Amino acid sequence: MQVTRREALRSVVSKCVPVGAAVLALPAAEAAETITQPKAPVGMLYDATLCIGCKACVVACAEANDLPRDVSLDGLHQAPEDLNAFTKNIIKLYKPEESSPDSFVKQQCMHCIDPACVAACPFKALWKNDENGIVAWEPSRCIGCRYCEIACAYHVPKFEWDRINPKIVKCELCQPRLAKGYEPACTSVCPTHAVIFGPREDLLTQAKGRIEQSPDKYFENRVYGEHEAGGTQVLYLSHVPFEEIGLPDVGPTAIPARLKWQKLIYKFLALPLLVYAMLAAVMKKNWIDHRKEMREEEERTGLRPQL
Amino acid sequence: MKHIIVRWQRGVPVYALPKITPFFFFLCLMGGLAIVLSAYREWVGLGPTTGMNDIYAWGIWKTFNTMVLTGLGSGGFSIGIAAWIFYRRELHSVMRTAVLTSFVAYFSGLVALGVDVGRPWNFYLVLMPWKWNAHSPLMEVCLCMPLYACFPLFLENTPPLIERWFYTWPAFRPILMKYVVPATRKTYPYVIALAYALPMMHQSSLGALMLLGGSRVNVLWQTPFLPLLYVWAAGFLGYACVIGVLMVACLSWKRPMDARILGILARIMCWLVLSWNAFRFVDILLRGQIGAAFAFDRFSLLFWLETLLLATPSVYLLRGENRRIPSRLFLADVLIAVGGMLYRFDPTTFAFTARAGAVYFPSAIEVVIAAGYVCLAIAAFILAAKYLPILPAPVSAWHDLEEYARVVHPEWKLETHDFSHHNRPHFAN
Repeated sequence: MQVTRREALRSVVSKCVPVGAAVLALPAAEAAETITQPKAPVGMLYDATLCIGCKACVVACAEANDLPRDVSLDGLHQAPEDLNAFTKNIIKLYKPEESSPDSFVKQQCMHCIDPACVAACPFKALWKNDENGIVAWEPSRCIGCRYCEIACAYHVPKFEWDRINPKIVKCELCQPRLAKGYEPACTSVCPTHAVIFGPREDLLTQAKGRIEQSPDKYFENRVYGEHEAGGTQVLYLSHVPFEEIGLPDVGPTAIPARLKWQKLIYKFLALPLLVYAMLAAVMKKNWIDHRKEMREEEERTGLRPQL
Repeated sequence: MKHIIVRWQRGVPVYALPKITPFFFFLCLMGGLAIVLSAYREWVGLGPTTGMNDIYAWGIWKTFNTMVLTGLGSGGFSIGIAAWIFYRRELHSVMRTAVLTSFVAYFSGLVALGVDVGRPWNFYLVLMPWKWNAHSPLMEVCLCMPLYACFPLFLENTPPLIERWFYTWPAFRPILMKYVVPATRKTYPYVIALAYALPMMHQSSLGALMLLGGSRVNVLWQTPFLPLLYVWAAGFLGYACVIGVLMVACLSWKRPMDARILGILARIMCWLVLSWNAFRFVDILLRGQIGAAFAFDRFSLLFWLETLLLATPSVYLLRGENRRIPSRLFLADVLIAVGGMLYRFDPTTFAFTARAGAVYFPSAIEVVIAAGYVCLAIAAFILAAKYLPILPAPVSAWHDLEEYARVVHPEWKLETHDFSHHNRPHFAN
């Protein structure tokens, strides 16, 4: 019996669609994906009300990380304008025009609980330590695509634009110093303890304690980084609005969660393989028909058919 | 206006014309310049040669050469699905043109991508599955795009080459008969299915790239359906590109056009564009961002420019008469192509605001390299069309070619009765 094309297509689709639905539904059942927390996350707490803007941390960071001094401003002072290929840590001043209070702000990697750069990086050059949760960069795995710079909501990873062997430059929380039992360079030199180092839990408790002690001192009485983008290991307290000092309103959802449908579709490669199987099944039938038509065409025209 | 009644039936090379023309020479010159400047870029790094910076870390090599060109080069994918999967048999005559545009566009895009990445020597990691970040859309693109270009798309482009060898290289005929033809006959459906599955994956992943861009991509473009809209746009861009290429080739080499087949292509393209526009509009409506479309700021004007460039010519082409008249079809097709290219370009450039005040503008070197690789792709297409039976023509053109070849190339031994009817090797037996 001759099967029409419509019937063949229908049979292929009717077989594959339930399987596809099952494949989608299976992981969807466990979809409420929990972010794997590092075992003992460490981090920093920066309190903008304590910072006096001495920039000792900027200099200490460059020294500890063997970074060349960025004197591009006037050739005299180590005064970088932004995080860049020579600067993993920076102090900026927020100065409003009216008489409202101004504030310093320290910027470096936030060491997100679920980092966007790690989700973006194609070959795991940026990776998150399971133990202490530090996000670090591995040169042997980086292809230099700079997708991390597109994905990071805080504009943290920087690229060495002027080198033939460019690296990604970002704060790695002074891992070598931690291994030797020291604190990160920036926290170790801070004269007012505006930035302190410690386990994230302790820092969070301490930050909340400060808010409790002096209510109305801090913006919205909350800690930036507790929930932002799924939580960060670097926490901020500020007396001015967070957005004014360069801490964007990123919402509570982790940025990689935006790829949840992609993850579902590519789970075990099941759906792509199913689509391939469908295409191949239809193609197989059509290929036989096409060859028959090619032979008929040859009979008719006497010319060798073309594929 | 003259209506056209020729039927495209076979691929016939553009023969008896000079291979090296001033235009071809110019294309090669631009390509050569791009290669020299790429070497310079590898020598001094990206900073001195491009306008990219830490805020706008992606330049036109990614946003134009990869995002836009591979969209334009999706003809082999989108027309192929209509021809092979939905079995529009009349479209087989333009498939060779379609897969060739895909091949040159993908390779030109991939070369630009290779120049763009900062540490290309680590690219070997793509061969080591245990080092992949399987959930990164860019990993999917890095793996899938070269795989598609080098394997199924390459194989789709081999029949014209084999055909040329068959006629011009008598010693090759037995090998072809014994090995190539049976192998092709057995594997072809599986290769073709892969040639449609892979672009579905990486063309949608190109859209997924910008999902991580978050609010930096304007709300009119940033949607969870970005991957779907990207692969859909690749669908109609493929049609727009192939229609345009066929018409330009026919006009410049004085070959007849088949208004019927061009009309079929145009009609499918129109419906793809209009359904895409409708889907996008509903998506914006459901996300509650319709206000942004009527804000009449920079972004909403850009959105309407895209929408009008795509929708107006599509509605225009729904009238059969406008599809049959070449000048009208060509104009509408170019507008659709520009609109689609703009859509694929915008989420990474015009509709992408990384930080207020920061700017990116491509440097001269960057533009010359981007243009140079496009020129090389066009040069490769022209050369292939002149050597190989790619562009569609009526059967009579094939007979003319046979007469011509018998006189000019007696060494090919092209005798009509040389191989009898039944022993004639071809893929259909």
